[in-house]
Amino acid sequence: MGKLDGKVACITGGTRSIGRAMAEAFIAEGGKVVVNGRDEAKGQQCLDEMGAGDNAAFFAGDATKQDAVEGLIDFTIERYGQLDICCLNSGGVNMTAPVAQMSDEEWQLELDWNLNHVFWGMRRALQHMIPRESGRVIVTSSVEGKLGKPGIPGYSATKHAVNGLVKAAAQEVGTLGITVNAILPGLVETDILRATGPDSAVAMGLGSYENLIDVFTSESAIKRPNKVEEVAAVAVLLASDAARNMTGCMFPVDGGTMPY
Amino acid sequence: MGVLDGRVACITGGTRGIGLAIAKDFLNEGASVVVNGRDEAKAERTLAELGAGDRAAYIPGDVKQREVCEAIVDGTVERFGRIDILVPNAGGSSGNAPVAELTDEAMQDTMVWNFWHTFWTMRRAFHYMIPQQWGRVISISSVEGKVGKPGLSVYVVSKHAINGLTKSAAHEVGTLGITVNALCPGAIETDTMMEQGPPAAESMGLTYDGLLDMFAQESAIKRLNDVEDCAAVATLLASDAGAGITGSLISIDGGTAPY
Repeated sequence: MGKLDGKVACITGGTRSIGRAMAEAFIAEGGKVVVNGRDEAKGQQCLDEMGAGDNAAFFAGDATKQDAVEGLIDFTIERYGQLDICCLNSGGVNMTAPVAQMSDEEWQLELDWNLNHVFWGMRRALQHMIPRESGRVIVTSSVEGKLGKPGIPGYSATKHAVNGLVKAAAQEVGTLGITVNAILPGLVETDILRATGPDSAVAMGLGSYENLIDVFTSESAIKRPNKVEEVAAVAVLLASDAARNMTGCMFPVDGGTMPY
Repeated sequence: MGVLDGRVACITGGTRGIGLAIAKDFLNEGASVVVNGRDEAKAERTLAELGAGDRAAYIPGDVKQREVCEAIVDGTVERFGRIDILVPNAGGSSGNAPVAELTDEAMQDTMVWNFWHTFWTMRRAFHYMIPQQWGRVISISSVEGKVGKPGLSVYVVSKHAINGLTKSAAHEVGTLGITVNALCPGAIETDTMMEQGPPAAESMGLTYDGLLDMFAQESAIKRLNDVEDCAAVATLLASDAGAGITGSLISIDGGTAPY
């Protein structure tokens, strides 16, 4: 018997890294999962690798686009008849820069990707969950949702913003059997980070990707990056019945980095 | 197969309330567990209720004494050969009053009960955990470790102190396979709350029911927390999956704490 037997989840950015680990952990606990990503081929590969048969599906779409995020929620309900767990996990930066050099285009992309996608998904999910008086919204925020680093102002600003959104929404639906929480991972070596990390390192004045990893890990107590499985384990807990009384929580998975 | 198979845990004040719920969860996940308490009769009932045979043991003693705290940790190692998980859970408060009227004795007693006992057991447990390069300390703090309430300063101060100790210790042992975290539950109507709640409420100018209602209304869920909420988080932190979480003050309060 799993902790998520019969539960239905959707995960933005679920084909790789943290989202993928969540998908696998949910399925292992008896859940059904719709994973989302931009790339059909990666989506199919993800389904093949997970081997979950009818318990997993893929919905193609760009999480920076409102119709794609809302489409994922609607598709999940259509596919499995309900939505119990909405994981708004996709996010990142493209060509980050210090504020003085930040382009409007990058700023807007980061707002859409990290903040607006969470709002669009949460609103749509809550519209389904409120009448059912049951649900879990789990947002992948970041240690940067409590801190700030030079060169990633948009990331820090948007992750702070989603933390505020989570706290406000948690209060709105707290008596309706719905919890809204954020997980705040420290540095995790995801595919997105490997792809955009070298540029981010330059924007942050750190020179190389390796230096970026070193700076983040040296701030932690464990002196290593976090792992996707560590984030997924917390997602399972928050999604389970055992966490029915945890809401508005900023759950750190950061090896002791954040001061509060 | 449980996530704590083969692990050995020591829980102070583990015969009832939050500690008992954690003990049950740990046992269900395959750990051996030592519970502690002051009352032999309660302990016997607890062990019978746990029904875990040789995997559960009781070490008596009052955690307000350093020798007892150290003996609880040492006794766990003597009984089961090691200590992997320490849960300094015992605690409470007495002599609550506004600061202007607060006695030295009340501040001292609560600090010893909540803070010093956590420090004494943590220090002793580290002596075993550091050489084995594996360990989990899960202190039971409170939402009052993050915020303050009038009339409850002794409790608030002691729980804030536990949170500070948690953060410092986490950095000391962070590369040694040892994590140190604190749970910050909202109000739970445990036996301890039923005993200590009425005088605490009086110090705040409230009735006991008024006190419980105030805590519930401050949360998003508008109800109190349950002991099982804490047990689920403790088990995650104690498991291998919790290896990347340390120095964290985890709110289990239905959305009460602002951070």
